[in-house]
Amino acid sequence: MTDSLLLEAEGLYKRYGGVRALSGASLAVRAGEVHALVGENGSGKSTLLKIISGLLRPDAGSISLAGEHVDFRSPTDALRHGIATVTQETTLAPDLSVAENVFLGHRMARRAGVIDWGATRRTALTALRRLGLELDPSLPVRRLRTDQRQMVEIARALSMDARVLILDEPTSSLTEDEVDSLFRAVRALREQGVATIFVSHRLKEVYELADHITVLRDGETVGSGPANAIDRSKLIQLMVGRDLVEALPSAAADTGNPAALRVRGLSLDGALDDVDLDVAPGEIVGLAGLLGAGRSELLEALFGLRRPGAGTIEVHGEEARLRSPRDAIRCGLALVPADRKLQGLVLRMTVRENLVMAATSSTARVLPPRTSTELPLVSGAIESMQIRAQSPRAAVGTLSGGNQQKVVLGKWLATKPRVLMLDEPTRGVDVGAKAEIYRLLFDAAEAGVAILVSSSENPELLTLCDRVVVLFRGRISATLARDEATEARIAHFAGGHA
Amino acid sequence: MSAEATPGTRARVSSGAAEAWTAASRFAVVALMLLVIFVVFSVTQADFLTSSNIQNLLSSVSILFVISIGMTFVVLTGGIDLSVGSLLALSGLVLSKLFNGVGLPIVLAVLVTIAAGALIGGFVNGVLIGRVGLSFFVVTLGTLSLYRGIVNIWSGTKTTYINSSLMNDIGFRHVLGLPVPIWIMIVVYLVAFVVLRWTYFGRDVYAVGGNIEAARLSGINVPRTLMLVYAIAGLAAAIGGIVQAARLGASSPLVGDSTPLDAAAAVLLGGTSFLGGVGGVTGTAAAVLFIGTLQNGLSIAGVSSFWQQVVTGAILIVAISIDRIQRDPGRFRRVVAGGGHGPTSTSEPDGEET
Repeated sequence: MTDSLLLEAEGLYKRYGGVRALSGASLAVRAGEVHALVGENGSGKSTLLKIISGLLRPDAGSISLAGEHVDFRSPTDALRHGIATVTQETTLAPDLSVAENVFLGHRMARRAGVIDWGATRRTALTALRRLGLELDPSLPVRRLRTDQRQMVEIARALSMDARVLILDEPTSSLTEDEVDSLFRAVRALREQGVATIFVSHRLKEVYELADHITVLRDGETVGSGPANAIDRSKLIQLMVGRDLVEALPSAAADTGNPAALRVRGLSLDGALDDVDLDVAPGEIVGLAGLLGAGRSELLEALFGLRRPGAGTIEVHGEEARLRSPRDAIRCGLALVPADRKLQGLVLRMTVRENLVMAATSSTARVLPPRTSTELPLVSGAIESMQIRAQSPRAAVGTLSGGNQQKVVLGKWLATKPRVLMLDEPTRGVDVGAKAEIYRLLFDAAEAGVAILVSSSENPELLTLCDRVVVLFRGRISATLARDEATEARIAHFAGGHA
Repeated sequence: MSAEATPGTRARVSSGAAEAWTAASRFAVVALMLLVIFVVFSVTQADFLTSSNIQNLLSSVSILFVISIGMTFVVLTGGIDLSVGSLLALSGLVLSKLFNGVGLPIVLAVLVTIAAGALIGGFVNGVLIGRVGLSFFVVTLGTLSLYRGIVNIWSGTKTTYINSSLMNDIGFRHVLGLPVPIWIMIVVYLVAFVVLRWTYFGRDVYAVGGNIEAARLSGINVPRTLMLVYAIAGLAAAIGGIVQAARLGASSPLVGDSTPLDAAAAVLLGGTSFLGGVGGVTGTAAAVLFIGTLQNGLSIAGVSSFWQQVVTGAILIVAISIDRIQRDPGRFRRVVAGGGHGPTSTSEPDGEET
C-alpha cells in the first residue's frame, strides 16, 4: 500500500428536487486499498458512487484523480479515466461468451480487419486469471454462477485498465462460498495496486475485507479511518447517529393454539416434496436453506402463485384453495416479496396509494377512494412504522430502501393478515431499519399474527424465530426449536446432512 | 431521504401543490404551444378567431379526441391499441346495417353499436391480451387487419347513406350554442377524468401500468383491468364511429386508416408514458387540440395539405424535444455536445423516460 491519494472527492453537494442527497460528502481513496463505504439507506452512498462513476454530476464539490482535477461527463468518461463500476444488477449479455462479455463495449483483438478469436480468448483468460479464476472463456455467461458473473464484470473493468473499481453491494446475492472467492479476487487486485471502493450492509464483510472505512450519514461524511481503528459499535453509532439497542425482545411463542397455517403433503413439480408445516398464531417460524432449496417456491405456493401438484393448505382450520394472490388475500394470507422494486411497489405511485393497494383490492372498483377511510390507515402506518417521507403524496420511488421496505410491510399489515409471510424481509436494508422491521414483526406476532419468514441470513432467523424449518432440495431436513438452533446447525442441515 | 426531516417525522398530510405541478408539467409544454399557435393564428389570420371557425375546428377533431381519450387508458397500462381505426369503420358499418338493414329505431341502433364496440374491444383484444397473455402489439395489429377485412367484405367496399334526423343532430345540431360533437368531447373527457382520478379502477390502471407484478401480488385483478381498458378503447372507437357517420351522413369503409397512429401520437405528446403508469387524459386533450388547431390554422393560411403533413410532423418532433429538454435540461446540453447517453439528472431516482 502506498500513501499517495488516488481518488479524492471533496465537499460534494447534490439535491434531487427538494431532497438533499449529499451535503458536503468527501471520500479519499489510496492506490491498492480496499475502501469500505458504509451508511444507512438514504445516507447518500449511492449518490456519491454515481457521482464518482460519472452517472450524476454534483451541484458543488470537486473530484481529483491522482492529484488532477477531473469532471466526468458520463460513465464512459469516468471509465476512460480508469474508474469502473460493478453494480448490483449485472450488465452482462447472457447469451454471449465470457470472452465476448469481457470485451463488451470496447474492441476485441483484430487481425486483417476481422476479429481474432484466438487472441480474444487468450486475453480474456489472462484477465480472469488475474482474479484467480479458471474459466473457459467460450462458455456462454448464462451458464455461470452469480459470483462467476460478477468476476466476469470485474475482469471487464480490469481489461479497460481500471485503477479504481467500485463494487456496489457485490455480495447481496452470493452464497458464503461465492463471497469467499470474490474476496480472494479483490485481495488479488489489492496486490496489483487497484483501489476498490466497496459497499456492503454486512458489517462482518466490511471488517473481513476493508483496509479503510468511510461512514456517511444524511449526506455527510461523519467518519473515516483505518478499519482496525473503528470498532463495530463505534461504526454502528456513526452510521445511525445514536446507540442502537442491540438486544431485541423475543416473542413469546403461543403454541397452545391450533395452527393458523397448516400445510400437509405439499408437493410442487421439481421444487417441493411432501412438505408438512404448522405455524401457530403469534408464532414466528423461519425458513432456512440454500438458494434453490425451495424456500421461495413454498411461499409462492402458499400465496397462490404456483399450483401445488399435491397437498392441502389450511388457514385457521379451513381449507384454502389458492389459485391467485387474490384468493390468498381473501383467506387472510399476506406475502412481503423478496424484491421490493420488482414485486413489492409501484414506484411511481404515492406512498398512500401503495400503502392501501392490497387492503382495498377487493373494494368495488367503481367506487371512489375515500380519504376518510384511507387517511387514518395511511397516517397510522407512517406513524407507527416511522416511515420517512416528505408527504403521503410523495412517489414511493423517492424514498430510501429501508423506508420503501417499511411501506411494503405496511401495505401487508394493513390487510390485517392472519398469516404474514416474508421473503428476505431485510435484504438491502441498513441496520437501523432492520431493527425497526424486527420490532414490527414482534409486535405483529404479539397481536396474534402467524409469521413465516424465509431468509438466507441465518443470524436473522436466529434473532426472529421461535422455530426454524430447514429445507434441502425441496424437503424439510430439520426443524429446530429456538434453544437448539445455531448458525452451525442450520448450515449443517441446509447442506443436506441428516 | 430528506436531510431536513427529523427522525420519525410525521409526514405532512396536506399541501399537494408541488405534486399537482409535477403532474401538470408533463403536458405543460403542449398546453403552452397550443396557446402560442392559437395566439399566432389569431393575430395573423383574420378568419381564425371566429366563433364559426373555432366550432368547426373543435367539431373536426372530436373523433380523434374521443378515440385518443380511450387510447390513453390502454397506454397507461403500458399497451397500445392499433385496432381502433378499423373498429371505428366497423362501428359505422354496424350502425348502418342495424338501421338500414335490420330496421332498428335509430336510438336503439346507436346504443347497440356503442355496446358492440365495448364488447368487441373487451372480449377480443381484452381477453387475448389480459387473460391469454399475448402481446398487445401482435394482437391489436391482428385485429386491425381482421376488422378492416370484415368491413371491406361486409360493406362490399361501398359507402351506405344513413338518413336519420337523429344522426344529423349528432353531427351538426347546436345545443346551448355548441354543436353536439363538442358536447360529446366535453362529456367523454369529464367522464374519463373522473374514472381515472376518482375510482379504484383508475388506480388499478396506473398500478398495472406502473408495475404489473406488484399489482398482481397486491390482489389487483390484472386480467379484468386489462379487459376493461381495451373495452374502453373499443367503446371510444364506437362513439367516434358514430360521430364520424353522423358527420358524413353515411358509413364509409375508408375511414380511420391513420387514426391509431394519430391517437398514439396525441397520447404521447400529451405526456403519457408509453411504458405505462404515468400520464392522464388532460394532456391527451391538450395534445389533440394542439394538433387540430395547427391543421386548421395552416388550412386557413392556405398551406397545401401536403405541406401541412410536413409541418405537422416537424412540429410534433419539436414539441416532443422541447418537452424532453424542459424535463431534463442537462441531457440536452450533453446531446448537443456529442455525449449521447450521458448522465441523467432527473429528479426521479429511478427516472426512466419514454
